[in-house]
Amino acid sequence: MHELGLAMDIYRTCRDAVAGQGPGRLEWVKVAIGELAAVEPDLLVFAWQAVVQDGPDAGARLEVEWRPARQHCPACGGFLERPRGAWLHLCPSCDRVLAVEGGDELDVLSVGFLAGAEGGGHGRDG
Amino acid sequence: MAETVDVRQRILAANEAAAAELRGAFAAQGTLVVNLISSPGSGKTTLLERTISHLAGRLRLAAVEGDIATERDAERLRRLGIPARQILTGGACHLDARQVRSALAEAAFPAVDVLFIENVGNLICPTSYDLGEDFKVALLSVAEGADKPFKYPAIFARAEVTVITKADLLPHVEFDLEAVRAQLATLCPRGELLITSSRSGEGIEAWCSLVQRRLAAKRA
Repeated sequence: MHELGLAMDIYRTCRDAVAGQGPGRLEWVKVAIGELAAVEPDLLVFAWQAVVQDGPDAGARLEVEWRPARQHCPACGGFLERPRGAWLHLCPSCDRVLAVEGGDELDVLSVGFLAGAEGGGHGRDG
Repeated sequence: MAETVDVRQRILAANEAAAAELRGAFAAQGTLVVNLISSPGSGKTTLLERTISHLAGRLRLAAVEGDIATERDAERLRRLGIPARQILTGGACHLDARQVRSALAEAAFPAVDVLFIENVGNLICPTSYDLGEDFKVALLSVAEGADKPFKYPAIFARAEVTVITKADLLPHVEFDLEAVRAQLATLCPRGELLITSSRSGEGIEAWCSLVQRRLAAKRA
């Protein structure tokens, strides 16, 4: 259940990012999660709710942008379409080993901050 | 109306900073650091016991052991005469760099040539956490089945070395070694594959040579 540890890191990152803005409350957070990051978005949202629920930023929403890993064939070129989780290992047309691009994202993109509102800075420490 | 604040930072930035700090300290000490990752029960601690016996008197070794509960693993290694520190995660499914940093600070090991970090038994979560290691090793015991690399691609793609363990059980289980080799060739084309048995001693020499080679390369 490392989603809980990640949710705590997301919270700390957000609070650090708005530290210079004076009092206020987090309204939402946008994160990018890659397909190869071994993170389940639903579990991350659940963990996030647990991290913020009793603190000053209770109710802040976590929005997950899913970033697929893209596979391409170094020989034929072009990216291959495939359903999530259906991993291809060899190029269907020339049998070469496929290359992977992206999919390891684990980033906080931005936060929505409501200045002046009853708010944090003293959120839970993990 | 909420104001949008741009963040654009890795979620694991704090872990990555701690890992970079550890990596710098290990480089300054000339210590090779190996992060062992596998399912529970695939033989990480037993491989370390064999390794310690094999390298005794040749290299100075130490270990950090990650588990949910008990000091058992660290005690097993201390019995063989190396300094070992247990990290109890209390439920967390992986080690992170901050835990390793604190454990090393508290343990105050003497200078060593090789530090082994035995991660919590899990093929998923430890994959994402850099511990400042030189390389990751994935262990796969023959009783687990030969389809593991494709089922858990992230770890087998990132481990520079895959060690097959419990090879003495090969006559008793269905395990297609060539299938594993083919999967690893696509996931980690430059990776190394070793076949070992801690019980019979098969492959232990090759594994210890790899460690010594990597240490020499780091210090070159």
